Amino acid sequence: MAALTELHWLTASAAARAFAARRLSPVELVRALLDRAAALDPRINAYVRLDGEAALAAAHAAEAEIGAGRIRGPLHGVPVGIKDIIDVAGLPTTCHSRLLLGNVAGADAAVVARLRQAGAIIMGKLSTHEFAIGGPSFDLPFPPARNPWNPACHPGGSSSGSGAGLAAGLFPLALGTDTGGSIRNPASACGIVGLKPTYGLVSRSGVFPLAFTCDHVGPMTRTVADNALLLDCLAGHDPRDPGSAAPPRAHHAALLERGVRGLRIGYVRHFHERDMLADAEMAGGLDLVARTLAAEGADIRDIVLSPLGEFAAVNRIILASEAWAVHAPWLRSRPGEYGRLGRRRLMAGAFYQAGDYVAAQRRRLRMIAQVEAALREVDVLLCASSMEPACRIEDEEAMAHTYPRQARAPFSVTGHPALAMMAGLSSAGLPTSVQFAGRYFDEATVLLVARAWERVAGTDALHPALG
Amino acid sequence: MDADLVVTLARLAGLERALAEFPEDVAAAAAPALGHRHILHAPTDPAAEPWPPMRAGIGL
Repeated sequence: MAALTELHWLTASAAARAFAARRLSPVELVRALLDRAAALDPRINAYVRLDGEAALAAAHAAEAEIGAGRIRGPLHGVPVGIKDIIDVAGLPTTCHSRLLLGNVAGADAAVVARLRQAGAIIMGKLSTHEFAIGGPSFDLPFPPARNPWNPACHPGGSSSGSGAGLAAGLFPLALGTDTGGSIRNPASACGIVGLKPTYGLVSRSGVFPLAFTCDHVGPMTRTVADNALLLDCLAGHDPRDPGSAAPPRAHHAALLERGVRGLRIGYVRHFHERDMLADAEMAGGLDLVARTLAAEGADIRDIVLSPLGEFAAVNRIILASEAWAVHAPWLRSRPGEYGRLGRRRLMAGAFYQAGDYVAAQRRRLRMIAQVEAALREVDVLLCASSMEPACRIEDEEAMAHTYPRQARAPFSVTGHPALAMMAGLSSAGLPTSVQFAGRYFDEATVLLVARAWERVAGTDALHPALG
Repeated sequence: MDADLVVTLARLAGLERALAEFPEDVAAAAAPALGHRHILHAPTDPAAEPWPPMRAGIGL
């Protein structure tokens, strides 16, 4: 077990084992995380609302239940942070916006209810881009989250607090959402594991919408095993979400240690070699992942999909149009209460025509068919997530140039499960990243490939030196 | 996208207040719409449309 000073780096899996063996109490862990948040979060801004009192109360309850032998499952007593567009009963869901500062949730979102049922400890609400799109911004009611690897840099977004908090050791588990890459962007920038599940696998009931065609809720963790554990808790049909799927119940960690021998992995290298040129260190990291998995026995083949620009256009048109439909009343009557970035990005949908939206949906169907065809030739796709490590958050020019440079849009559009994680560290000490995508509802295979890379590269043992 | 067109479209969308208070933001919001639209081309032959409900002339 980690020393008392290292409790903040405990994985959820290790914490649960320690609780069950009575070597550690949820109360001790929550206290350690609260102390760490007090020390570090003023620099990282992962939290918009840390609910320490409630977390400790829940930890005491978990301690009593575990002590009485009533262990609910592998997340019992484990702390988790919640992105602040996801409802937690009794707490504001602000979406990081002036418009919703007083918006107290009357009930838990479906995913939060599942976490509570599993005995997880809700630590509080986490920083996001305004309405999951308008950021990172300095003109919002709360400061933007920063990257624990270098607090002068951005942590990705829009699940920025989730990524930053995990990387900083403020909690072992977090929830994020992903419409245009917002789980996988912070996973890439912060060197953690972020999974956008198959569309419909995880309920979006109680989550503020951005674009219903592309909205996903997913697990964010420091390790692949924890990601599978958290996904097991979150996944499942919810009739309150019209997009909710009802696949057979899966145990997502079932294949984790299988290894990649015999698996066919499709390397979509044109995303970062032709469509958008990745920086040399990022490209080198991706090639290293491919070579390593080949050495582990995978059959690596080149796969060609539509150009990234086309995926990005489809994602942007659908996202902008649907987000406009959500925000039009406020943008018309209260535009000044948005931050500048949120206002600009959310008004964009007003300028597309209905025919643009239909064309994008039509193209989306062809893209789905294309990725499905690719995933009949191979078992998993490997590609870039970001094209370079995180830049300085206050460098507006660098942010505007680099933030849109990504290969996450394809799976936002098609709804296939996609996971981003650390590939390595750049010469400047910032995470480089890789993305794996798989068949619908085959998160288990995506996770096993991710685990194979993690096991060889040791990425789960790499943490920023924050003190 | 010309400025007059942006204003007209913004007014059609009910964004008079944003136009008055944040004209630069309205212009910035409008700019991507032109940039992305040209990437998605409809088939020149309606019968070549892959999605049956939108395929012209032959029904479902």
